[in-house]
Parts: sequence; structure tokens; C-alpha cells
Amino acid sequence: MKILIVEDEPSLRELMSRTLKAERYVVETASTYVEAEDKLAVYTYDCILLDIMLPDGDGLRLLEQLKKEGKRESVIIISARDSLEDKVLGLELGADDYLPKPFHLMELSARIRSVARRSRGDGNREFVQGNVRLDPAAYRVFVGEQELSLLRKEFDILAYFMQRPGHLVDKSVLAEAVWGDHVDQADNYHFVYAQMKNLRRKLEEAGATIELKAVYGFGYKLVLTDQNA
Amino acid sequence: MKLIYRILLRLSLVLLPLMALWAALFYYTMVDEINDEADDALEDYSELIIIRMLAGEPLPRLNEGSNNSYTVTPVDAEYVHARPRIDYYDAEVYIPEKEETEPARVMTTIFCDDDGVYYELRVATPTFEKDDLLRTILWWVVFLYVILLLTVISLTVWVFHRSMRPLYALLQWLDGYRPGSVKAQVPNDTQITEFRRLNEAAQQAVDRSEQLFERQKQFIGNASHELQTPLAVLGGRIEWLLDHTELTEEQMTELAGMRRTLDRIVRLNKTLLLLTRIDNHQFADTVEVDIVALLREQCALYDEIYASRGIRCAMKLPQSFCVQMNESLATVLVANLLKNAYVHSAPGALVEVRLHDRELTVTNDGDTPLDGTRIFTRFYQGARKEGSTGLGLALVKAVADYYGFRVEYAFVEGRHCFTVVWR
Repeated sequence: MKILIVEDEPSLRELMSRTLKAERYVVETASTYVEAEDKLAVYTYDCILLDIMLPDGDGLRLLEQLKKEGKRESVIIISARDSLEDKVLGLELGADDYLPKPFHLMELSARIRSVARRSRGDGNREFVQGNVRLDPAAYRVFVGEQELSLLRKEFDILAYFMQRPGHLVDKSVLAEAVWGDHVDQADNYHFVYAQMKNLRRKLEEAGATIELKAVYGFGYKLVLTDQNA
Repeated sequence: MKLIYRILLRLSLVLLPLMALWAALFYYTMVDEINDEADDALEDYSELIIIRMLAGEPLPRLNEGSNNSYTVTPVDAEYVHARPRIDYYDAEVYIPEKEETEPARVMTTIFCDDDGVYYELRVATPTFEKDDLLRTILWWVVFLYVILLLTVISLTVWVFHRSMRPLYALLQWLDGYRPGSVKAQVPNDTQITEFRRLNEAAQQAVDRSEQLFERQKQFIGNASHELQTPLAVLGGRIEWLLDHTELTEEQMTELAGMRRTLDRIVRLNKTLLLLTRIDNHQFADTVEVDIVALLREQCALYDEIYASRGIRCAMKLPQSFCVQMNESLATVLVANLLKNAYVHSAPGALVEVRLHDRELTVTNDGDTPLDGTRIFTRFYQGARKEGSTGLGLALVKAVADYYGFRVEYAFVEGRHCFTVVWR
């Protein structure tokens, strides 16, 4: 999969490019509006990460132009402006997703994967890891052929990990993703731990070949227990 | 003290000695004039008597048809030298017809006949009673003072209000002025130079403060925006280290700690941006929001998050309470009120949420009252709490101000009470 990163900040550009390359994507970068325009005129990409605040132009105009030319590229807007209006405007112009800065790199990869799934037309299909299948549309989880009954929060947590396999997820990041923005002042993460404990027990009892492994007391990682399975 | 009262008081005070001075002047001039007239008449009269006497003609009879009287007494040379030739003075004179003494003007003339004998002629004419005159004048002066005062006051009040209208228009405008509001045009429909200048000066001051206000808002907004990218880079680099490199547990824990601190900065920054956007009125779309449903939902969330500390929440809510608000702002309002109560409660404490008669009250235990005037200002914190941004209540206040709700703080029976009033 080929990705174009349009971002004027060199450090962030380099970091994004490095992360995505590590995920086996083909990555090209552009630092200005003009450079992005040139690259888009010559090459086609599967996904474009577009910073809308560029030194020499508004990224939204680039998006408009792309859509006018009927190009098929998926576009994820990356913006320092985190307001609903900007988001709505961006999505109305045809962007596939809107990611406000600052974001976690893990989040970026997850969004790219999700956009890619949608553009392949299997956006509502299941996520599969090991012998566990998770159907996001129907809110159902299967271990092998056996359905696993999970509570709402347990399902949300599992879905979050299924979309980020192998990544280390900090408890605070998980809490914010599952419980919402308002958990920011929690002075401990007992509530995360309580849910994780139940979820891990349920997975283990159902004989799942994946495990939510605790990492040094601050986070978790989804790993396959049996690499041969 | 209002300006008009001050002016009236001063006018009254100035008028008082002025009127007294005027009365005194009037009195003395009047007395002088009357004496002058009387003296002239006396002079004529005494001249007539002296001429007749010297000519040996018969003297006029006493009190001949008038109240004038005269006496002629021979005097010795010693007396003549001791006394002026002609002398005027006031005296009480006995009038036989009336059988009483009356105030009179007296003129004495010393003259000498052909024989060298000196005589003193004393002529007197009854005149006015000075006490009476004084009293009358005093009475009239007081009367005049009152009349004049009333006239002056009413005229002044009328003139004052007519000419000071632009000033009061300006004051009224300033009373209604809020920085950052749309109507920043000072009214200036006057022809009076001073008021025009005052209004222009006020306009300049308002423009300047609007500019500063705008610049400050922009600065906070821009600074927060500019921080987003470096924060993203920093977070990304930490994430890279955690995800892609071999680290010891100690290194990883340190990095995770760094990232949590960074997340706090990110959150702080986001909150500042949110405040800026509320101040900039960037939440236009309103829908019907059920505050009760929102309260139940948020309470359930915080109950779960703070379950380990055993904080209980007692709710006394009606079936529903719908208001017209922006949905995210309603959430910000409710969530921050509740969060504040949960965060600042001791383990096992009770958080009470009541909604009654369009008043939402959230209370939690507290030791000492907080400073009610500063509790809603940004970054004001009674006791520093780990992870707290110090912006939660500022957000509550910003949302309330945005919609014109009231927010209040009170310390009642050992509990902090935060109240939002929808009216």
C-alpha cells in the first residue's frame, strides 16, 4: 500500500514516515502544497495523510481538487485545528477521516488500516487475530466457532486491541479511548484493571489463542499465544 | 454623590453669603439714601428758621402741620468750640401730639446773631424705624433667597439634564459594555465639543481594549495551535521508542511516565483551545439537550472510574430537564462539575447531585470554604491535585457565561456547593 504524507513539519513528517515504513507501507512525503500537487499529478496513492495547514496553501483546496478530478485516493486529514466545524467541513469535502494533532502514532496506523478496509469494501468485516473473530457491526465475538459473551466495555477494549495487534497500549491511552475524554483526572486505573481482568479471564476460559499481556504494569499488548495456530 | 446634587449644594452654599452681602449693601444704601433726603429737608428747615430768627421775623409755630420740631438754645463759647458747627445724628425724640418718643433725624446748627450770641438750633424730623426696616429687609431677603434658590435649582436641573444627556448616554453605554461583545460602537450623537471628545476618547479606549482582548484570545489560540505539532512529534518519538526498540523495564516505565505527563500537557492544551473556542463563540448550533440523561450517564462513568475510592453519588433528579444548548458544551458543563466533585472528594465520601426548579446543585465534602471569587478563574486551585488541569471550573464558568446561566459557589454545612441556574 502506497501512502503520501503531506506535512510541513520535518520532524513529524520523518517520524510518521518511519512509523509507516515499519508497518510495511510504501511511503512518500511532501512538505509543501506545490510539492504535494506535483506528486499527485504524477503518481497515484492508496492513502494520503494531509495536513491542512501548509505554508503555501490550504490543504482543503488540495482535497477539493483531488475529488474534482475524481481520484480514488483515501484522504485522512491531519490538523492542529480540533473543532467540529473543521472536521465536518473536511469530511464533507470528501476526506475519509479527520485526525486532530497531537495524535498517537498507533492511532494513525489504526486509522489508515480502517480507511484501507473501507476502501476495499470490507469496512464492516470482522477483525481476526488467532482464533478470535470480532464483528464490529454486530457487536459479536467468536473464539473458534464458540460465541464469547462480553460486556459492553469488555467488547470495546477487545475491539481496540484487535485493531492494534502487537502494539503496546498504555493504560491511560486505553482508558481515554474506551471511557472517553473525561477520564483525564483519574489518579489510578483500577477501573481499567478490573475490566481487563474479566476480559482476560473470559478469553482464557474460552481457549483463545490471543492474550492481552500486561507489560510492566503500565500497559497491555495483544499477542498470539500459539504462533503456529 | 451625584454630580447634580453636588452642583445644587454648591449653588445653595454660594448663594447664602451672596444674598447676605447683598442684603447688607441694600440696607446701608437705603438707610443712607433716606438719611440724605431727611438731612436735606432738615437743612432747608433750619436755614428757614435761622434766616427768620436773624431777620427778627416771627418763627414758625412748633409742629406746624408737620412732625418737624425745633428748639433754639443759647450756648456759651466753650460749648461752641467743643462741638462741630453742623451735626447730624439719629435720636429718639418725644412727640407731644403722639405722646411718645419716635426715632428721628436730628440736625444741630450753631450760629451767632448780630450780638455775637451763639445759639444752637436743633431741628428734628421723625423718620423710619430702623428695626422695622431691618426686619422687613431680612424677611424679604430670606424670601428672595428661597425663591431664587428654587428658581436657580429648577433651572439648573433642567439645563443640567439637557446638556449632560450625552454624558449619561455614554455612562449607560459603558454599563452595558462587555469586552468581546459585538456592539463596540460608542454612541456619539452630540454637537458639544467636550462630549464629542469624551466619546471619541471612550471609543479609542474601548477599541484598544477590544484589540488587546482579541489579541490575547488569538495569542492563546495560536500558541495552543502551534504547540500541537511539536507535542505530536514528542509523543510520537516516545511511542516509537516503546514500540520499536528493546528496552529494559525501567526504561519503559520511565518512558511511559514521560508520555503520561505529555498527555497531560496535550489535555491542558486542548482545554485551553476549548476555552478559546467558547470565548470566540464557535459553538453556534444548539439542540435540545436532556440534562438529566446527561447527568445519569456522566455519573455512571465517574462512579466506575472512582469505584476504587468508594465515592458514592446520591442523585435527586426529575424525570427529565431539557434545555437548548450545544451538545458538546452541555457535556463539558455537566462533566466538569461532576468531575470536580469526584476528584476533590475523600475516599468513601458522598457526592450529591440535585436538580430542582431549573437549579442544578452538585455538592461534595470539604474542610474549608474556597475563595468564591477566584474559584472559577483559570488555574486557580485550592490544593494542588495530581493530574488536575485547574481549568475544569473555568470551563463550567465559560459555558455558563456563553449561555448567560449563573454559576455560584457556596460553602454550606461543611460541603462545597456548586450551583448552575438556568434562568
